[in-house]
Amino acid sequence: MSIRLLALIPVAVAINLALSAAVDAVNLPLFLDTTGTILATALAGPVVGVATGALTSLTNSFRNPTYLPFVAVQVLVALYAWFAARAGLFRNLKVAIPAGLGLGILAAAASTPISYKIFGCSTSGGVTLMTLLGRKLGMSDIVACAFSAFVSDFGDKAVTFGLVATVLHALPKRTAARFPLALRSIGAA
Amino acid sequence: MSGRHPFTLLAFAAALPALAWTLPAPWGAAGTFAVALLLCLTPGSRPGLGILRTAILTAAPFWLFLFLLHDRATALAIALRLSTMIASFVWLVAILPPARLVEALVAAGYSVHVAFLFAATLSAVPVMRARAQRIVDAQRCRGLATRGGPLTRLRALRALALPLVLSALHEVDERALALETRGLSAGARRTALAPPPDSTAERVVRWTLVAACVAGVVGRVLWRV
Repeated sequence: MSIRLLALIPVAVAINLALSAAVDAVNLPLFLDTTGTILATALAGPVVGVATGALTSLTNSFRNPTYLPFVAVQVLVALYAWFAARAGLFRNLKVAIPAGLGLGILAAAASTPISYKIFGCSTSGGVTLMTLLGRKLGMSDIVACAFSAFVSDFGDKAVTFGLVATVLHALPKRTAARFPLALRSIGAA
Repeated sequence: MSGRHPFTLLAFAAALPALAWTLPAPWGAAGTFAVALLLCLTPGSRPGLGILRTAILTAAPFWLFLFLLHDRATALAIALRLSTMIASFVWLVAILPPARLVEALVAAGYSVHVAFLFAATLSAVPVMRARAQRIVDAQRCRGLATRGGPLTRLRALRALALPLVLSALHEVDERALALETRGLSAGARRTALAPPPDSTAERVVRWTLVAACVAGVVGRVLWRV
């Protein structure tokens, strides 16, 4: 791995963990905690993306250990972003946002068994409330858990994909050309 | 405990949650939770009661959520397992400075790239968080509306996130240049400045913990059969 790509990984992890300040400022029910993972993959490929995702879960677990089991979701996000980048799905928002919705479904499907088996669907107050709502609507435990995961992931991943597409288009061509996958991601190569 | 080798501390922090999930509930998890709480009371970089309080405050919401969602037996089993994991990690973070772990990794012959990733991430996160807050404050000073309908908020989010991410990406080149200058691309093995001391007794303890985890998994599989 080149030194530039190695230097990108800690920066991308920091992006994952720092965007919560922006989300808090606008008070939207989003996480954006995979932005750095998706961006790193779209710029530099799956190895950098998977490393970013794994390191994000590890670093986050120092603050709150419950993040660690979700490392599999970060890896899945990186692999999905790699396919999206190779297919040029970041070329405009009309393509990027539906691709993000697709990731939302996959991420919810991947996080449900972890949330159900390890945490009994109690990962946060919001998720607990959504699971309780699902139960009140007559869903079984696992379906209520999937419902809460779907509600929290669906919009979040669409906004994240849209944000990454915006960043990739805002990058100067000269900077983008230094990363192996950047131009292909936006359909410019 | 803070004087122990970082790998020994990591082994304890990893083995306790692993055993909590493999030993029969609730007594197995209750035992591992008790050990994790005792570890929190051992002298470290912070007073023991402070570590214990942090662990309990972090775990408390999960107890509430779990008793809201499940019957008493299920909630107790999951809560004890989660609390073991939380207490073990809170103890590890309090007792093990990241720089010491990096020294141990380098001394054990791990790639300097792995050590760099770990150290650079831990130092980059607080810097980036502070920058994010500065951008939020600066944009508010310029009159950015962060309240209103969802579209207004999404537009505000773009104005907050874009400068943060773009400035971070521009930093990558500077970092790469700094690493090249320090010979990181040479691939030569580094010498740790102050490698943490290791002993045969600690190695035995680590392998015993690994063996206990394997035995726990095997026992769980056989017990299920």
